[in-house]
Amino acid sequence: MIPTLLGITIVVFAISRLAPGEPLRGTSDEGRGTSIVYPRLDRGPSSIVWGLDKPIHIQYAQWLWRVVRLDFGDSIRHHRKVSELIKERLPITLMLNAIAFLIIYAVSLPVGILAAVKHGRFFDRASSAVFLMLWSLPIMWVGQMLIGYFAGPTFKNWFPPAGLSSNYAEQLSFLPWLADRLWHLVLPVLCLTYTGFAYLTKQVRASVLNNLHSCYVRTARAKGLSEPVVIFKHVFRNSIIPLITITATLLPAMLGGSVIIERIFSIPGMGLLAFEAITSRDYNVIMAVATIAGVLNLAGLLLADIAYAIVDPRITMDD
Amino acid sequence: MNKKTEEKNWKLSYSQMIWRRFTKSRLNLACLIFVLFLFLLAVFAPFIANDKPFVIRIDGKFYFPLLRNLQPSDYCIFLAAALTVWYLLRRTPNGGKLNIKNQISKLQCKIQKGMPDSRYSNFAFLYVILLFAFLFLIFVLIFVFVPRRLDAVDYKEMVASGKATDAIFAPVPYGYARTELASCRQPPSRRHWLGTDDVGADVLCRLIHGSRISLSVGFVAVGISVCLGVLVGAILGYFGGWIDFVGMRFVEIMMAVPVFFLIITITAFFPRSFLNIMIIIGVTGWTSNARFIRAEFFKLRRQDFVQAAVSLGLPLRSILFRHILPNAVTPVLVNATFGISSAIFIEAALSFLGFGVAPPTPSWGQILSLGVSTSGRFLWWLTLFPGLAIFFTVMAYNVIGEGLRDATDPRLSKAV
Repeated sequence: MIPTLLGITIVVFAISRLAPGEPLRGTSDEGRGTSIVYPRLDRGPSSIVWGLDKPIHIQYAQWLWRVVRLDFGDSIRHHRKVSELIKERLPITLMLNAIAFLIIYAVSLPVGILAAVKHGRFFDRASSAVFLMLWSLPIMWVGQMLIGYFAGPTFKNWFPPAGLSSNYAEQLSFLPWLADRLWHLVLPVLCLTYTGFAYLTKQVRASVLNNLHSCYVRTARAKGLSEPVVIFKHVFRNSIIPLITITATLLPAMLGGSVIIERIFSIPGMGLLAFEAITSRDYNVIMAVATIAGVLNLAGLLLADIAYAIVDPRITMDD
Repeated sequence: MNKKTEEKNWKLSYSQMIWRRFTKSRLNLACLIFVLFLFLLAVFAPFIANDKPFVIRIDGKFYFPLLRNLQPSDYCIFLAAALTVWYLLRRTPNGGKLNIKNQISKLQCKIQKGMPDSRYSNFAFLYVILLFAFLFLIFVLIFVFVPRRLDAVDYKEMVASGKATDAIFAPVPYGYARTELASCRQPPSRRHWLGTDDVGADVLCRLIHGSRISLSVGFVAVGISVCLGVLVGAILGYFGGWIDFVGMRFVEIMMAVPVFFLIITITAFFPRSFLNIMIIIGVTGWTSNARFIRAEFFKLRRQDFVQAAVSLGLPLRSILFRHILPNAVTPVLVNATFGISSAIFIEAALSFLGFGVAPPTPSWGQILSLGVSTSGRFLWWLTLFPGLAIFFTVMAYNVIGEGLRDATDPRLSKAV
């Protein structure tokens, strides 16, 4: 796992340093990559302060030595410590993704099980058609349409178009603040969840279908168990085993999707931080975000392996 | 399957069987026809949407501005489309029918007489490389010798003012790069069927020319990722052992890197060009193909035909790519179709964020990004139509991928 993490950081470091462009000269306008190539700044005073005058491998070694002590450096653009920035923004992204996660699972598990039980009939075919269509919807289009139709002055004005809380939110007590926050979160979470439905429902359905034809299901029915007990007590437990690995892969995909969502809805999370850092060549922030994304990725895989071993007693940890 | 279908299937090759299973569903056929329609739109885009007329008469003489001003990239696209159509429709020597008994007896005669058993000579590999080099040379020559003409004459104005008579325009008589600030941000009307964007360019014209960008990015990116993935997966899967161990660590590193983040980083740092985007999407997406091919090669390398090929002393490239690979390629084909839809989506997302192809090259994502302005004004025609285009294209490829996956599912040949 550590070599993988080192590999990720080396890849991102190499790309960010070997590319043309310079963090200390000018800023590019929001949302457009700069196409002007500035010459590399050599040994000016500010480059010595930021450590950019040393050769690349020395820069990487210094960065690595600092990261091991959890010091990600300072952000060139925001002039603050990177760890502070991340501490502010990571919880927001995680909260968005956690809510989306819960909703995806809450919808996909029942629909998938029902579609597998009623295999081949109308509900099965209709739900797979609907979810295939949902899967093909481009995320930025859905975001734009939702903002345009439900959050703007031209059509309906039911939801706010941007931000996490209203301007006056600090003055509210807890419950109105929570209500306001949830009202702001409806559209972004809607955008994040619909892509996950199709993928997860398909996996649940396939997994349950696999198990419905097993011998132990026939035994359970022959014993006289009622159908819901058969499904939820026996089939379900065996079907969720493959879903655990999917959980591990779903999280990094949602982190990637949240870049677009946070840009469209102007939510100050990790995605927007990464986006701004990339456009302004803020190396410390880019490396920090890449490292954290890689760590979360690997942590998810590790958790999936452990959960696999816990849920299925046939699998031991020495494989 | 009953005996009759089994007997009918004996005469068919594997791809013909899959084609039959695939086309049983009308939805799959409809999506295939839609993809074909998109292809025609992309290839013939300069003839469908162009602000220069096919033929115009000025002072009694006929001029052909549209044909004169075709760019070298247009010619390359025509040539590539023609080659693809020829390759797909060519007749195989036996007319596509399988006749195994005849083939086996012919092979036996040849072996007895000591004749070469293959239609291809020993240097076929070199001939293939020479052929590709020749094709590449033709494309380069097109770019060198076709002059890039910039014709900024406003032919519509000439017709309107009477200087020219009798002009035949393309069906959508607007250019994708021509800006008309007087008519910017117009909703759909009789003049502009899908409205105009913020510099006055016609949306329908930009959508048609943008399909070229989307489809090329889709195919080239997936081609790169399939080639890379097959190469890496074949070597890892065939050799196993420590090569597989070290190689899988590299593949895992590539898989663990957050892909979208990496793509944005690379496109933001390197100069924005069309080729860069295709290469980047291809280079970041090959890992799943490698894993599929590696799994299949693990299964297949212990088979008898592989041992027979090794004992005959065939070169490694022949064993890997002519013997094992055709048996291992089906999951990669399915994955490639999903890869095309995902590449189209990534390109649209990049253009939406501002990292894609540079304007005035049209891209669906770029038109989409103009829909909601920072002041909150919502121009619905700039959001709805490109979004629908992306949606239908991605859905068509997804349906085709699902149909292929169901058609190649080995369990379906046993269960009905």
